[in-house]
Amino acid sequence: MSSEFRLVPAPNDGASKATMKDTVGATGLHDTMRFGLRSLAAEANGRNPLQSRLENWEETQDSLKLNLQRNIYGLHAPVRQLMERRLVSENPHMPGLGNVNIHLDILMGRDETLDVADFFGGALDVESGPLDVRGEMERRRRILQH
Amino acid sequence: MDGHSISIDMPQLKKGEVNLGTSIMAVQFDGGVVIGADSRTTTGSYIANRVTDKLTHVHDRIYCCRSGSAADTQAVADIVHYYLQMFAQQAGEPPSVHVAATLFNKLCYENKDALLAGIIVAGWDKEVGASVYNIPVGGGLFRQPWSIGGSGSTYVYGYCDATYRENMTKDETVQFVKNTLALAMSRDGSSGGVIRMCVITEDGVERLFVPGDELPRFWEGKEVLPTVTSKKALVSSFTGVESVPIDVET
Repeated sequence: MSSEFRLVPAPNDGASKATMKDTVGATGLHDTMRFGLRSLAAEANGRNPLQSRLENWEETQDSLKLNLQRNIYGLHAPVRQLMERRLVSENPHMPGLGNVNIHLDILMGRDETLDVADFFGGALDVESGPLDVRGEMERRRRILQH
Repeated sequence: MDGHSISIDMPQLKKGEVNLGTSIMAVQFDGGVVIGADSRTTTGSYIANRVTDKLTHVHDRIYCCRSGSAADTQAVADIVHYYLQMFAQQAGEPPSVHVAATLFNKLCYENKDALLAGIIVAGWDKEVGASVYNIPVGGGLFRQPWSIGGSGSTYVYGYCDATYRENMTKDETVQFVKNTLALAMSRDGSSGGVIRMCVITEDGVERLFVPGDELPRFWEGKEVLPTVTSKKALVSSFTGVESVPIDVET
């Protein structure tokens, strides 16, 4: 939750930083084995300006609402919201197909909306290869599997 | 970096964006405020809406006048409306105009790279009575007894400075707003249509409407070239006089 009243994502939200969000492996570094050599130039320059706007849209709107709540009710209000979301997201079971979390949907206010993912039966993002249970477990439990 | 230019000046309207090139105004009097606006919304030179309502309710006794990009001002006003409902619920009483204006300012300032919005907030609250706040493009909060805004306002600063007096009655204030907006609308191409006004007092909000054919009229020009009296056909030297003499063979 950023402490501003941004209505829309800042225009350079993704373009100025080269992050490893998508390609990080179990060690916390770029996973060359799975994703190939890292190119900082490609990460920084190969982005459409609309891309960061769309990627950060929901988070920005959510952040705005949380900041309005903080302004009216005090810091405890957004803190409780975020705490509840975290509690509800903890899933001790096997990571795998169908990341359905109805509790989280209710808390986020999207339990009565349908999105593309809901009727296309797959992840909203591009399929990240075949189902990688071991990789997911590695990341979750921070164990290195060889 | 192909295909996008870096603009460091204030944001211009994006291509195809709808413009509230406008004349807006708010004046306080003892016991309330009168706010007014024209009714024209343009996309380039096309008038997308000629009966727009630019006076937006954000709370029961707090209204805002919107100028700049229609989309931007609607988005900002929606958030303020949402916020004030929650705020009133928590406080147990209506919010003050200052609260609304401060929030408008915060949104306009922190998003100045993305917004083109000039807003006048006006209303009545029980702490100070009537008040008018001007929030120009880029942010900034200025409380004044009267305020004008929008593209048409530039033409009427002189008239307003010369005409405004303190302690006007409600009717005098309404007439002042009506005259000012009519003058602005007659000179500014992006303003026109009808005049919409609201009178906000402790007791309520009264909406006033002045249709386009009942606008106050001022000096509208005078034909100074001599009218032609000869009987020759004058198609080639048509000067805009009401009747064109045609050749009459007797």
